[in-house]
Amino acid sequence: MKEIKVKKIISNNVIVVFLVLLCLFFGIMNTNFFSSINVMNLLSQMCVNALLASGLSFAIILGGIDISVGSQMAVTGVVAALIASKVGQMNSLTALFILILSAIVIGVIIGGVIGSLIAYGGLIPMICTLAFLTILRGLAYIISGGGPIYGLDSNFGCLGAKRLIVTGNFPNGMIPTSVIFTVIIVFIMHFILSKTIFGRHVFAVGSNKNVAHLAGIDVKKVTLISHMLCSVTACMAGVVTASKLQNGQPNIGEGYEMFAIASCVLGGTSLNGGRGSVARAMFGVAVIAVINNGMNLLNISAYWQKVVIGTIIIIAVLADTLQQKRTQKN
Amino acid sequence: MEACLQVKNISKTFPGVKALTDISIDFYPGEAHALVGENGAGKSTLIKIIASVYTATEGKIYLEGKECTFKSPKEALDAGISVIQQELSIAPDLTVAQNIYLGCEPRKGICLDYKLMEKNAQKVLDEMGLSIDVKAYCRDLSAAEQQMVEIAKVVSKNSKVVILDEPTSSLSEKEITSLFRQVQRMKEKGVALIYVTHRMKELFEICDRVTIFRDGCKTKEMMIKDTNEKEIVANMIGRENLTDYYNRHKHTIGEEVFRVEDFSSGKLFQNINFHLNKGEILGFYGLVGAGRTETMEAIFGATTHESGKMYLHGKEIVFRKPSDAIAKKVGFVTEDRRRTGLLLEKAISENIGLPSLLAHGHRGLVNTKWEADVSSEYKEKLAIKAPDISSITSTLSGGNQQKVILAKWLAANSEILILDEPTRGIDVNAKSEFYSLMYKFVENGGSIIMISSEMPEIIGIADRVYVMREGRISGELEADELSEASLIGAASITSA
Repeated sequence: MKEIKVKKIISNNVIVVFLVLLCLFFGIMNTNFFSSINVMNLLSQMCVNALLASGLSFAIILGGIDISVGSQMAVTGVVAALIASKVGQMNSLTALFILILSAIVIGVIIGGVIGSLIAYGGLIPMICTLAFLTILRGLAYIISGGGPIYGLDSNFGCLGAKRLIVTGNFPNGMIPTSVIFTVIIVFIMHFILSKTIFGRHVFAVGSNKNVAHLAGIDVKKVTLISHMLCSVTACMAGVVTASKLQNGQPNIGEGYEMFAIASCVLGGTSLNGGRGSVARAMFGVAVIAVINNGMNLLNISAYWQKVVIGTIIIIAVLADTLQQKRTQKN
Repeated sequence: MEACLQVKNISKTFPGVKALTDISIDFYPGEAHALVGENGAGKSTLIKIIASVYTATEGKIYLEGKECTFKSPKEALDAGISVIQQELSIAPDLTVAQNIYLGCEPRKGICLDYKLMEKNAQKVLDEMGLSIDVKAYCRDLSAAEQQMVEIAKVVSKNSKVVILDEPTSSLSEKEITSLFRQVQRMKEKGVALIYVTHRMKELFEICDRVTIFRDGCKTKEMMIKDTNEKEIVANMIGRENLTDYYNRHKHTIGEEVFRVEDFSSGKLFQNINFHLNKGEILGFYGLVGAGRTETMEAIFGATTHESGKMYLHGKEIVFRKPSDAIAKKVGFVTEDRRRTGLLLEKAISENIGLPSLLAHGHRGLVNTKWEADVSSEYKEKLAIKAPDISSITSTLSGGNQQKVILAKWLAANSEILILDEPTRGIDVNAKSEFYSLMYKFVENGGSIIMISSEMPEIIGIADRVYVMREGRISGELEADELSEASLIGAASITSA
């Protein structure tokens, strides 16, 4: 009985076990892996993907997807940089205000348009966001005039480049602001999905639209709001990136949708909808970041990292499918 | 006569459950052999073993004296064992001919020979006496026609054994008649038929022999002509006493609570007028496709309607969406548990709480305590058999799933319940239990609209019945006027 329980806990948390094993492996291969500097690096490398995955979880649990999140990042980053360049000199509070507000406003607009087209226009999420992947990338280049927007006040970096708590080991500060910001947003998203009625409705719609509709749930509204949340977090990832780079580049976030989707899937989110969790997706985010970071430390080429991550995604999905089949049979 | 298919000492064990124990049955050519039993009695498991979907833990199967060692359903099919599923397995975007020859298409070189395919398909359909266009796309066919295509598929393969798994569950009386004609034809051709059903009437109409299952064991095998319905049911449920099956008893019926006037929506239904009284079980009888479900969906606000008015407690009311209806304490138990009734992969408590989350939530948060309390309360009151309220609903039996759906609407404080085929596909004991729950509900002041295609059920429990035909109400019958004859009279299309 006890053995079965332990087995169950492990099989329900394969991703956690996998993460621990990965960390141990890289820790043994390279002692720098567990150094405080590397751990902080690792955390700050996770931020953008964590933000993307936290919002994308809503779209995927709903049974849909948003593959335009990378382009959404670019548009927001560019717009925030453009505003900052017009403002000129600013203190960090103003910078923070510009960054976060542009993320929210642009996120609500983009998510609103995408969500409306899917919910009320009946478009297939994959195709709809595929179109937005190129539309928004194009817009990012148009807004920025084709190249990066430079010459911003150094305070523009307050959300991505700044670190807090100066200690001996960390003359520039220990904890990156981006990490703190990401933790807050991810926590909020997790709370919305797991504790609120809206979150429960997302699961219901993702499990079975008909049942949700007949239970009095406004399926279209839930779809719309989910896509808004997804886009707002994507846009937050965009401003974090722009702030980190301290300029507005129209080419950021290319291909990031793949990593975000992979993180969700690794965390057990079902691409068929109805199943998933923001917190678990974060383990997926960590696995991908650890592989990238660890392979960097071992001097393995970035090209191989792509191959490895892709392979792990396939294994994860395969393992999940097999497990589903087994539980169905039983 | 030599048996065509023999199963010998078959046992099947799933992890933790013994699904079948030592089953031996002989199936003879030209004979329709019925398998009956409550849900979970083991019929489906046996069928799946015969069709090689599952492999038996113990025991052997012989087809025409030779031992079968099929590794996949495809091999069983090639050897002449066909299954006609309860749920249609027709590819809607292929034509009739393409469906009939799906998986065994005639070829000319590396190309498909469509001409030959269509010619042969036409021949099969002609032999069956059907007038279906072989070039028609299956999505444009009615459910009954699709089923005929499925049978044509089996006929074209010259199968030796044909398994029919509740083939009539989505057919109307008229369509059933034409299905039986095909079954009769197959019998005459010497096919061994295995017929799984919940409907007693069909046994006596079409079957020759019956094997009764209970708890994974074969309890009895009889010739149909030597037995009667009572004996079969008694063997199924393992008790003799059936007098209280419908639990019919007097209850007081009060004033009018709900009225619908001139409800219409295009071709689906026209000029629907009816009223519902407090404490009443109002039956809606009709053939499949008569527009009953569509009418109720529109009343509930799940779909739109073009014209018509509704009155609740004498006041006019409009339900634009289901949440409007739920707010006015109307609940809707749909006919298809899996498609529209339950979140199958979610817990019992999540299903029960679903329509009431907003009403009991606080600042947008799920009131998990209320949800757990109300779920436990109804799990006990309705005797839902499950380990606990966090059990996943897909693991429950049909009857218990149906109780979860009922609990969902009771937890939403429904005063009017619309039940669409509430006992479809659940076993005899569960049905009886469900009827007493319905009575309890109306005795406490609730009112029920019950759509049912099963005449004994309508006659057994309804206080008053409306009959629908082709989207219109074609008759209203009081309890003392109810009989099979009066119902059929009002429901079927007569040339007169």
